Amino acid sequence: MTLYEKIKSLYPSLENNDFVTVITLQNDSNGAGDYIKAWNHPTLVKPTQEQLDAIK
Amino acid sequence: MSSMILNGDTSGAITVTVPAVAGTNTATLPAATGTVMVSGNMPAFSAYANTNQSIGASTFTKLQINSTATTGFDTNSNYSISNYRFTPTVAGYYQINGAVGYTANPGTYGIATIYKNNSEFLRGTQGSNTNCIVSGIIYFNGSTDYVELWAYASNASTASGVSYLTYFNGSMIRAA
Repeated sequence: MTLYEKIKSLYPSLENNDFVTVITLQNDSNGAGDYIKAWNHPTLVKPTQEQLDAIK
Repeated sequence: MSSMILNGDTSGAITVTVPAVAGTNTATLPAATGTVMVSGNMPAFSAYANTNQSIGASTFTKLQINSTATTGFDTNSNYSISNYRFTPTVAGYYQINGAVGYTANPGTYGIATIYKNNSEFLRGTQGSNTNCIVSGIIYFNGSTDYVELWAYASNASTASGVSYLTYFNGSMIRAA
């Protein structure tokens, strides 16, 4: 499951527009994978790594 | 051919040469202070992707623009085909352009965007188009500043490895 899919499973209310405005997921194409570059959502709290790891 | 040589105070020299062609011509320098730009100190590059690249859903991804051969060029060796970035060594203002071609509809948002020094700097078209472009004028300090082309797609997508669909190019337009 990708980082995006994990975040969507935690917060199903997130919409496409959120990921081009207040949330930035990034992949530097260096083999390190996806990560949260910025999280500025006005109401939803940035998920912790433990929360993300718990989603399989 | 007539020439005039201007020697530097400590070393170096500039030779101004008049071509052996009939006729009288005038080259006027502006009444301003600045650096005269010639092709040798005006970097330009044109790079393209030659392999397809997967773009994860809703994730800004650095494009692996990995070739300046064949249809590309890199006049001052300022483009890295291993880090996929342009780091000009002459300070000034550059016109930078990029495009990503998706092999299928990228969903609600397909985006091509320029990152400067690892932060998004100039976002281009944003919509459900298979061809997304970005263009703008960017200042570089001539040492540490660099730009990269990044892509975004709402749905998991593939950036085309065709040279005329996914490309990154630029050229100096004015010295610092």
